[in-house]
Formats: sequence, structure tokens, C-alpha cells
Amino acid sequence: MPPKYHIHTSRAENRFQKITKSGVIAWDEGCLKCARCVKKDCVYKVYEKRGIDTRQMLESLDSVCMDCFRCVQGCPNKLIQKGINPSYKELGDHYWTAEIISGLWYQAEAGRIPVSGGGYGGAFSGPGFDAMWTDMSEIVRPTRDGIHGREYISTTVDIGRKVMALEFDQAGALVNDPPPNVEIPQPIIFDLLPWSPPGKGINLAMLEGARSLGTFAIVRQSEFSPEMEEYLPNIVLYVDGNVSDISPKILRKLRLIEIPYGKDSIAAQKKLKEEHPGLVTIIRMELTPDSSGNVSRLIAEGAEAIHLVADEYGLEKSDKPLFIKERMREIHLHLVDKGVRDRITLIAGGGIAMAEHVAKLIICGADMLSVDIPLLVAMECRVCRRCKDGISCPVELETIDHLWGASRIRNLMAGWHNQLLEILGAMGIREVRRLRGEMGRAMFFENLEKDIFSTLGKRG
Amino acid sequence: MDQKGLGITRAILFCRQLDPNQDANRRAIEREMGARIRFFPLPCSGRVDPLYLMRALESGADKVYLITCPEGACRYREGNLRAKKRIAYAKSLIEEIGLEPERFELILTSAGNHKTIDEITRDILAREES
Ligand code: SF4
Ligand code: SF4
Repeated sequence: MPPKYHIHTSRAENRFQKITKSGVIAWDEGCLKCARCVKKDCVYKVYEKRGIDTRQMLESLDSVCMDCFRCVQGCPNKLIQKGINPSYKELGDHYWTAEIISGLWYQAEAGRIPVSGGGYGGAFSGPGFDAMWTDMSEIVRPTRDGIHGREYISTTVDIGRKVMALEFDQAGALVNDPPPNVEIPQPIIFDLLPWSPPGKGINLAMLEGARSLGTFAIVRQSEFSPEMEEYLPNIVLYVDGNVSDISPKILRKLRLIEIPYGKDSIAAQKKLKEEHPGLVTIIRMELTPDSSGNVSRLIAEGAEAIHLVADEYGLEKSDKPLFIKERMREIHLHLVDKGVRDRITLIAGGGIAMAEHVAKLIICGADMLSVDIPLLVAMECRVCRRCKDGISCPVELETIDHLWGASRIRNLMAGWHNQLLEILGAMGIREVRRLRGEMGRAMFFENLEKDIFSTLGKRG
Repeated sequence: MDQKGLGITRAILFCRQLDPNQDANRRAIEREMGARIRFFPLPCSGRVDPLYLMRALESGADKVYLITCPEGACRYREGNLRAKKRIAYAKSLIEEIGLEPERFELILTSAGNHKTIDEITRDILAREES
């Protein structure tokens, strides 16, 4: 058995004050000058540590306060109040919610999974990924065994074409060499970012993060720069120009390359592989209602791996878009029907915001995922999209130190990896490859609704 | 618009209760003025400490505005009255060190104000020019 994949984490402090759910408003005027002010009794010494962050005009008060309300209740003149912080409500949008963003921040800073302690307080169904539950019937065992290494659970996946059967000649030698394959210790690669402030720090942080995790980051050919050369073994170069412009020296060091979907993508793949037979080619295509047809045609033509990309909200491109999990299910089942599913690696991306989305999308038929926005959020992004409008980034992401960024990314991925192990453990599955397409181990709200309610009101 | 203010940088501290859509509303003016303007939404203008105003000067702003809700309209009762006292105190502090007190200015919006934060800001900038 290969050694257990372990991600080393270390606390990486925030550069900016985080936006907390509630804020303290404390007046000085009207103060009765009590012999002992309630502020002195704060267990967390919030008032003593008080300071102002001038980059944001934010008090440290809010991010240190633990919401015990002792001071609020104790002040005889009611000069201290706590209220919902309006900036918190403004974080992100309907999909990238404040809860999701602050959960990602926590994991990136601490390298640990957030524990609410109060049980699950959310809804049991909702749009998108929330309308799906996984079967955790094996949860009777300690689910943290996987994390602590008492049980070996593999999260390794491969990118490349699989050999369906070995063929031997008369002398007993293999007729064909097996196609090249790239093994990744966890089913996540880093995608191109939909938006970000300029600055090489962000790219380098993602590359450094990918290298230390043993995974890959996609980099546009047009954005490739000499300081990225040392990361080539962990880069998926996305060809957004001419293949002939990529130097053979670079191509030799690459293991994965991504080309856009088009009518000549198979021809381009063939040409690349003639010169560099060890390279695995991924074809990148937008997720659309036609995806399953296009994917099965590409498989017949010899594609090795396909990267299906939905938008930031996990929606395919269409007038009536389907959510990524529904479309992936349809594609997966279509390929299973045709008997070709195992020939190809499917990478799905767009709208992956939490660890549980990784497991859920794999159940829906993806071999692995590509992640984008959460990596930026790991580096304190607030999903305000000001950079997209060309306005200053509130957390000055263009100035980050790439090593700090990489450790934040590593911490987040460690949290996700542990959650994946927990889910696999609770489902009694020892290998993430086996999770793929295991729809029988999940329940889908739409199906349940149909099964249970469609017969109601009908006479039997 | 671009020449406005000839490179004077401004910090705008404002009570965010003024404009529920402040985040979206100020983007256009921020794009136009780039580094010459910075907005600091406050949960309540009463939260402003003289230190905030001093720090805003220190971090490079030439002029600091504090925009508050109309008198009597504060969500936290008397926040804007307190802001008034604090800005007066801050003014006296900078005067002592030889800076013009006009570098701090309190803008009390009038009752029934329905202007967005960018409209208020543009009014202020226009007034500066005249
Ligand atoms: S609510 Fe509790 S933790 Fe927060 S400042 Fe008051 S006493 Fe301290
Ligand atoms: S915080 Fe806003 S401006 Fe900065 S990277 Fe994130 S979305 Fe872009």
C-alpha cells in the first residue's frame, strides 16, 4: 500500500480583519464611570486588545468578541449594544453565501474543519447540492478513523484513458503500451479563476499550493511566465494560443495539457501526442445540454480526459440551465448506457463551494473536480467581484506573499480532504474511485418527491 | 471628472444605514477616481472615534468626510449626535498640531434624504469645486 496521503497544515493568520456576523457598538458619552466597568470583565479581554485597522477602518473589537453578551447585559446605562454586522450580510451573493465564505476563511486560517457544536441547523433541502443526501449508514463506526490513519482510505484518482483489456502477441508480450496516466492523491485540481485582481502572487500561490499537495493548477499559456517554470510538473497548461508557440522544453516537462473544445481538438491532441507521447491531454468544454452527445463522440474519437465547466453558480450554458449535478448525472448515465464510461476521465467544475460538493459531484458521475473561487476565498477574497469591475480589491489580494497564500490553500484543502475521508468512512467506502457514480448511495430530493407524492390524490 | 480635485485624496466615512445598496452604488465613482477616493462604511456613524479620523489623515487622505444620518434618525438612538461631538474634538486635536480643522468635515444628511451614497459624494465634490 502506498504511504497515507497526509496534508501538513499550519495556522496562517488573516491579513485583514475578518468580517464577523455581529458587531459591538459601545458609547462613551453617558458613561457613569462605574467603579468597575463591565468592559474590564470581558473574559476575552476584547476591550483591552481593542485597536483600529486603518486599511479598513474596522475595530478589532468585532473579530475578537465571542458573543457572550456579558458586557451588553452588564452595563447599567445600556451603553453597549450588539447588532448584526451589515457587512456580513453583504458578503458574496445568493450562492456564495456569507456562511460559505466564512466557513472557507476559517478552514484556510486554522487548517481545521469548522465545528458548529449545535448540530445541523440548516434546512434539509434546497436548491442545487442541498437537494441531495448521501447514505451514511456506516456511520456506526468512528468516522474519524480515516482521518487519523486507523483505517486506510484512498482518495487517489487518475487522469487519462483506461485500458479496457490487455492484448498479448504470440510471444506473450503486450501488443500496445498502456496509455499514459497521471495519478493525483486527491480528486481536486485548481482551475482558472473567473476573476481576480492582477498580480503574480495569486498564480504563484496556487502553483505552490498545488505542488505541495501533489495536484495540479491550470495556467493559461498566455499568462505563463518564466518564474512558473519550476512548477511545470504541477501545471496543466491551457492552450489559449497556438500549440506551436509553446517551446519543446516546456512541453517536455509538462504532464498534463488542456485544449479548448472545438472541431479540431482531436487533431490537436493527436499532433501533441505524436511529439510527446507521455503527455495526457484534457479537452475543456463548457457544460451545455449537448454535453453528453459531445462527450461520447469525443470518446469514440480517442479523447483521454474531458473537463466540463459550468459557470460560477454551477449552471450550464443554456436558456434553461440545468445545475451541474443534474447534468453530470445525465452525462454519466448516458456513457454507462453506451458502455464507454470507463474509457474517459471526467473532470467537472464550476460552483464547487464546499467539501461536501466534492463528494456529491463524484457520486453524480465526475471522476474529479476543478475548484476556483474557494482558492481565492482561502486567501481572504470576499467574493465582492470588485476586481472584475476594475476597482480596488478590499483585501489587496494583488500584494499577497505567495507562500502565505499557498499555506492558506493547503489548509483549506486539508479541511476538504478530511471531510471527504469522513464521508467515505461514513459510507463504508475505502476508495474515492469507487464513489464515482454511486447514485444508489444517495437520495435526490426531486426523485423522492416524485416517488412519494406523485401517487397521492390518484385513485388506485 | 477625472481632473477633479487635482490629486487630492479623500476618505469618506459614512453611516451605512444611509444607503442600503451602498456597496453597488459606489462602484462607478470608485472606478472613475481610483486611488483618490476611499470609502469606509461604518455600522453607525456614532461608532467613529476621533482616532479613526486621525488615522485616515495619516494613511494619506487630504480630506476626511464623515457622513451621517439625519438628526433623530439614528438606528442606534444618538449615534449621529455623538459623531458630531467627536468630529469637533478631532478638529481641535489637529488644530493643536498645526493642521487646518477643515480637513475634517461632518455632513449631516437632511431628513427625508433619499440620495444614494454616490449621489451624496458627487454633491460634495461639486461643492468643493465651486
Ligand atoms: S459580548 Fe462578551 S466577549 Fe464580546 S466584548 Fe462583550 S463581554 Fe467581551
Ligand atoms: S475580494 Fe473582491 S476584489 Fe478582491 S479578489 Fe475577491 S472578488 Fe476580487
